[in-house]
Amino acid sequence: MIYFHQLNKHYGDFHVLKDINLTIKQGEVVVIIGPSGSGKSTLVRCINRLETITSGELIVDGVKVNDKNTDINKLRRNIGMVFQNFNLYPHKTVLQNITLAPMKVLGVSEQEAKETAMYYLEKVGIPDKANAYPTALSGGQQQRVAIARGLAMKPKIMLFDEPTSALDPETIGEVLDVMKTLAREGMTMVVVTHEMGFAREVADRIVFMDQGRILEEAPPEQFFANPREERARLFLSRILNH
Amino acid sequence: MLDYSILIEHWDMYMQGFANTLKASVLALIGSLAIGTVMAVFRIAPIRALNWIGAAYVEFIRNIPLILIVFVFFVGLPAIGIRFDSFTAGTLGLTVYTAAFIAEVIRAGILAVPKGQMEAARSSGLTYLQAMWHVILPQAVKIVIPPMGNQFINLVKNSSVLGVIAGLDLMYFGDLISSETFVTFDVYIFVALFYLLLTIPLSLGVGALERRLAKSR
Repeated sequence: MIYFHQLNKHYGDFHVLKDINLTIKQGEVVVIIGPSGSGKSTLVRCINRLETITSGELIVDGVKVNDKNTDINKLRRNIGMVFQNFNLYPHKTVLQNITLAPMKVLGVSEQEAKETAMYYLEKVGIPDKANAYPTALSGGQQQRVAIARGLAMKPKIMLFDEPTSALDPETIGEVLDVMKTLAREGMTMVVVTHEMGFAREVADRIVFMDQGRILEEAPPEQFFANPREERARLFLSRILNH
Repeated sequence: MLDYSILIEHWDMYMQGFANTLKASVLALIGSLAIGTVMAVFRIAPIRALNWIGAAYVEFIRNIPLILIVFVFFVGLPAIGIRFDSFTAGTLGLTVYTAAFIAEVIRAGILAVPKGQMEAARSSGLTYLQAMWHVILPQAVKIVIPPMGNQFINLVKNSSVLGVIAGLDLMYFGDLISSETFVTFDVYIFVALFYLLLTIPLSLGVGALERRLAKSR
């Protein structure tokens, strides 16, 4: 589904991603962890070309992401994305936030888009907020709307870039619950997060990054019990022991 | 004391001038908003050639006196066979000129919208223009209302440039009445009052809009 081969990315002199090789299969839930500045977010943002790459190969859903002939808008239809800061459209209601892309990109009728939107709002547990504006919602509710917005395009892949990092501790759980349901239903997910409980419970695989490299890739039980890399061990000891 | 008989005797001329000033202002406002928005998007769009066109437009036009731009339409283009009546030439000049300032205002507004908005819109599959139109511009408009109000008021006042090329506006009729009656002070005071009749409601309207939008969020 997603295939990185010898991928490199530079920001000017800064080498952000170094020789990335990673394959993610359909239905897999991959959680990327690592210290800040390790390139986790950049890696995820390459998948839908919010970031361009310097060299190497990246194939998503059978399409070369950085090929000149690739219709990026067509590829992006199949890739939902959830951001740290939600990025809901403040001038649109919750419903309008969700129906915009299906109507404009997929050409779905307004009626159908609304029905789909309501279905996913039910799914994330806030159908009663359909006509509210984002600013009237708590962070957790906003993030759940953002997830519904992504799902309404019926994507094959969902990307999560630190979806709970901007949330109050008490609303983190409600967002993680939605993500867990999604994972159980077989969605292909790539998740950057610091929520180790979530990673342990839901991930099929943990990818540990540091300084632009993938240092370790392992199933969660193995990774958390006995990380191979010294750097991973250090990282885990720092974030688990407090 | 003002001599109101001048106003009463020349009421038709004042009214015609007022109507034309209003008409020129409204047309130039719509036109310059359209051109200004396009130029602002040109300056920001991820296409080098368009950036250049947008920047060239703004830098050339806003650094030339308005009257020269009006002359381009009034005497320049006719020299190569494209003719306009003086009202049209004046309104076109005013439109092209104001658009440069509006472009800068809108550009600042677009840049003030958080980057994540464009990323969210693009990542959902919207094209650049769709994202601009449905997501970025509506938010930019709210941000730019106060500086935009200033531009609109300037536009109404700048429409007096039509007077110079016999554009049948308030200023033109003011000059006409003054040379007929040999009265200067009173005639132009009335002209000024008619301008205020346009600009004061405009600035109150912008203020009200600003407060309403501030409340809605």
